Amino acid sequence: MEHLRHVLPFVARYRKRLLLGLLCAAGSAALTALIPQILRTVVDELNAHGVVAADLIRAGGLMLLFALVDSLFRFGQRRFVAGGAYLVEYDIRGALFRRLLTLDQGFYGNAHTGDLMTRVTNDLSAVRQFLGPGINSLMTAVLFISTAGTLLVRTNGTLALLVLALLPIITLLFVTIGGRMQRIFRSVQDQFGDISTRAQENFSGIRTIKAYAQEEDEIRVFLEENERYRAQNVRYVLLSGLLWPAIAVVMGLISALVLLVGGRFVASGTMTLGDLVLFNTYLALLSWPMVNLGWTVNLYQQASASMGRIAEVLHRQPAITSPAEAPAQLAIGGAIEFRNVGIRFDHALAAEHRTLTATGSRPTIEEPPSHADRPAAEGWVLRHISFTVPRGSSLAIVGATGVGKTTLVNLLARVRDPDEGQVLIDGHDIRTLPLDELRHAIGYVPQDTFLFSVPLRENVTFGRPDASQADVDRAAEIARLSNDLNQFPDGLDTLIGERGVTLSGGQKQRTAIARAVLRDPAILVLDDALSSVDTHTAAQILAGLRDVMQERTSIIIAQRIATVKDADRVIVLHNGQIAERGTHRELVQQGGRYAAMYRRELLEAELTEE
Amino acid sequence: MAGANFEDDEILGKAYDGRLMRRLLVFVRPYWRQLAVAMLLLFAAAAAELAPPYLVSQAIDGPIAARNPAGVVPIFGLYILALITAFACRYGQTYIMQSTGQQVMVDIRMRIFSHIQRMSLAFFDRNPVGRLLTRLTNDVDALNEFLAQGMVALLGDSARLIFVVITMLVLNWRLALISFLMLPLMVVATVFFQRYMRASFRAVRQRLARINAYLNEQITGMLVTQLFNREGRSRARFDELSDDYRGAQFGVLMAFALFFPTVSFLSVAATVLLLNLGGRLVLGGLATIGMLVAFIQYADQMFGPIRQIAENYNTLQSAMASSERIFRILDTQADVTDPAEPQALPQPVRGEIELNNVWFSYDPAASDESPTAETAETRPSADNWVLRGISLKIPAGQSVAVVGATGAGKTSLISLLARFYDIQRGAITLDGIDIRALRQADVRRHIAAVPQDPVCFSGTIMSNIRLHNQQISDAQVRRAAEIANAAPFIERLPGGYNYIVRERGSNLSVGQRQLLAFARAIAFNPEVLLILDEATSSVDTETEMLMQAALGRLLHGRTSIVIAHRLSTIRDVDRIIVLHKGRVVEDGSHEELLTQRGYYYRLYQLQFAEQMSAA
Repeated sequence: MEHLRHVLPFVARYRKRLLLGLLCAAGSAALTALIPQILRTVVDELNAHGVVAADLIRAGGLMLLFALVDSLFRFGQRRFVAGGAYLVEYDIRGALFRRLLTLDQGFYGNAHTGDLMTRVTNDLSAVRQFLGPGINSLMTAVLFISTAGTLLVRTNGTLALLVLALLPIITLLFVTIGGRMQRIFRSVQDQFGDISTRAQENFSGIRTIKAYAQEEDEIRVFLEENERYRAQNVRYVLLSGLLWPAIAVVMGLISALVLLVGGRFVASGTMTLGDLVLFNTYLALLSWPMVNLGWTVNLYQQASASMGRIAEVLHRQPAITSPAEAPAQLAIGGAIEFRNVGIRFDHALAAEHRTLTATGSRPTIEEPPSHADRPAAEGWVLRHISFTVPRGSSLAIVGATGVGKTTLVNLLARVRDPDEGQVLIDGHDIRTLPLDELRHAIGYVPQDTFLFSVPLRENVTFGRPDASQADVDRAAEIARLSNDLNQFPDGLDTLIGERGVTLSGGQKQRTAIARAVLRDPAILVLDDALSSVDTHTAAQILAGLRDVMQERTSIIIAQRIATVKDADRVIVLHNGQIAERGTHRELVQQGGRYAAMYRRELLEAELTEE
Repeated sequence: MAGANFEDDEILGKAYDGRLMRRLLVFVRPYWRQLAVAMLLLFAAAAAELAPPYLVSQAIDGPIAARNPAGVVPIFGLYILALITAFACRYGQTYIMQSTGQQVMVDIRMRIFSHIQRMSLAFFDRNPVGRLLTRLTNDVDALNEFLAQGMVALLGDSARLIFVVITMLVLNWRLALISFLMLPLMVVATVFFQRYMRASFRAVRQRLARINAYLNEQITGMLVTQLFNREGRSRARFDELSDDYRGAQFGVLMAFALFFPTVSFLSVAATVLLLNLGGRLVLGGLATIGMLVAFIQYADQMFGPIRQIAENYNTLQSAMASSERIFRILDTQADVTDPAEPQALPQPVRGEIELNNVWFSYDPAASDESPTAETAETRPSADNWVLRGISLKIPAGQSVAVVGATGAGKTSLISLLARFYDIQRGAITLDGIDIRALRQADVRRHIAAVPQDPVCFSGTIMSNIRLHNQQISDAQVRRAAEIANAAPFIERLPGGYNYIVRERGSNLSVGQRQLLAFARAIAFNPEVLLILDEATSSVDTETEMLMQAALGRLLHGRTSIVIAHRLSTIRDVDRIIVLHKGRVVEDGSHEELLTQRGYYYRLYQLQFAEQMSAA
């Protein structure tokens, strides 16, 4: 429950605002309490008929003046307290996003997008609700209740004690009914979640449902689900419908008691009529602070739980970080060496799984893949992998789906670190290099092309926002993106993504290639980056790349041999090992896996020629 | 789910649309009795709530003024009675109204869901799942808010306002008129702030949606951002959006910070007016002091409803926008419809299939919505036929394998036989009857398609095999699982047939899901079976063998059309049809086609040579 301590450092910056807010609250409480006092005097004077018009005007003027100043205080209190809460929310949101930017794929592999989003939005808003309206009401309630309480006691002790003893019932009612409402509401929401899951499954699996003519049965089951939801809701309504009428009836009871007891006092002359009116007026003014106290208790509970979830992200340490004392590194040249590298299973799967689900823009709440399809979790995806890629040369990696090609090249940009062995660039273990320098040196074209919903140009210049028009044109030319530009309404400035133009798979891949090429990297990594590009264009792109990459190191993962056959060397991954290595020519002559793949591809080409 | 809907599709139409309202009322009409009772209770509660101030005035002017302490007791009794009446009526009304509202929501949701169930696949191609879900959830909720809260509040608050005004006029028209003096100011202030708040809230929602969209994209694309060293710019952009959002929040804050103090100032001003002008009436004997005290309370009771009425304008507006979207779905006609007078299949169904010069394109001119950029890309345009004049006759009981390169039209052929889409030219018949002359349910009872991606639903193994068909007994499910070779793995699962299958079958392997799909096909036992048998890379050898054996049993003695990818399947079937670019190019048995040394021969070498060497 003391998760809220995590919020203190953020609040501390605004303690002056809080203090000012508190002052305003005190001023407002005092003035609010004073106005009924004037009312009492006037009523007594009216009752005694000992008043002239001028007295009424003077009293009225005073009340208006107090009310005006009170309004200013109230305005100030809201501005300072609730405004401060928005500032705190802004700061925490920024801190959360900064933290998200540093976290590694190991974290993202296990986190659901939807869950992370909830923490940044809903949870944060719960914290702000407590800090703003919550603290605001708390201040008002405490200050006003104590001021009004004191004044009531001074007016008539017996009646005041009666009122003050009964008023907390309202707070109690709110806390108990409100708390139970929240619990039931959660099960209502769960039930609602079931409804939307049911509908979502139905819509996504509609082919199967139609294939077996199950529509009517689906409707029946959906109705049952809806009926359950309705039943839960009715349970909720039984309680929520009770809350306000119950509070009203308690308030009314207290007023009635004040009338009964106070009326007798007035009738017997121990109290004036003005005092009775004063009690009535204070009662009306006290009801809201009493309710608000209860509300604040509930807000506190929610905020505390939410802050706990926020703190989990905020205090999460990234697994991949820049070394504390990085060497004064010269420009990265690009000689790569993998030395006895080993990667264990579970991490790899998480990372790979992530890239698989990252394709859509909708958040995917994925279960981790079942254990049935993979070997023992403790096993190795790849082990004892050693190879070198001299500066300026190219390496191709081939192998079956799921063999670990992506996982292997991911080590280079430290998307993750190996569990065994070392990756070296220019003879330095990459873990000793400054992370941003390392990544600056790499142009990466991932397997699943992720583009942002911004204009095409911004996607191309993503890694080099200050690139000149000439450079952008050149990169677009090399990636053969230039051919397609006239298809887009605004050329390079066309907005893409959900709100803009949808690109084809090939166009996406070519954009990603242009994005990587524009960085002019020392090392270029193409992870199956030409799979949706037709053979002819792929050849053109590769030829263009060869020109640029003469001085650069490149690593190409591909399914098609045609894409890799010009690489300086090729490695074939199989069963967690390098099964074959050599040039295209050597491997074809060896007559192993690589040669078989090549034969197959030639046949396929022949077939599609028709 | 909360984050799933980022589109700030805020259609802000008019707040009241008579045509939509009438259509909405159709859903409410069956419950008019409950609503009438709720209304009565509402009026009773409003009336009961008027009593306390009056009773206070009676006490002050009566027993208290007369110095008669005992006289307060009966008034106290009446006070309590009024309280209890108000409590009971208000609680009863809320309960009836809310639970009826829930029932209406169930009705509306079922109408939408049932309507969507009857849509053909083309509809699902056009409408992403997310959009359909939003109609079913958020839009229905907006209606609920309006029907169960907004409408009641509007009626209830209007009633309360009118009651208070009448009571005040009856009790003392002079004091009443004095009380009304502040009313215009209050209305002006409320309407002004309501407008301002509505605009600020809209700004807050839009900017929050923008943050959500950005955040979602950033989280999904985090790897790219990190690899391209874009953290700094992302941070700057996020701060910009966050700042915008904060700005909008301050707008709301200002609205509240100004509105509430204004209201309490105006309410003090009303009291001051009553004291000054009403005080003179008391001095002049035209009003009693008790009445004056009561009117101070009545004046407050007047202001609440005004604010509520103004607030409910919002719910009305969003309810109209939501119902507009809901009715758009409900007004969509199905592309594939049952005939007015469906023919009956001659019993028993034999399962003879014939295609007569079938032409098909996914892009019929009849389509009511223009295809999106995405569908236009993955699909041929109207002149690009997927199937070009296919004629085939498949006798009952024959098993046929359809082979061909990607895009040859294999999957489309299967979809057409199940009548997921209607063809543009030609005819498809089952036992000599055009499938368009039959009810869809009848066609699919006899022609079942096992989809390529084995779909699983959350539920149990049992419910995944028989779906929700209650005519399939537990024993039949077990029998089907045994035939499909699924029984061994099911029995090893904790709970066996009651093993809980999670959403999309994520706790089953691909191979297991495929076996379940086979079991499902066997349990439904159709006369004609269509199977999309794609090569599954992630299946271990043992499961692969189980699947092959199961497939063999599935095909046996039944008209079956398989999109084959396994060598063993191809060898087992009676006949092979080779599709190329929407046409049948070769037709015959495995041996016949091999000797032809044509397209099939090469395709066979390409696709099956490796399997052959592996076997």
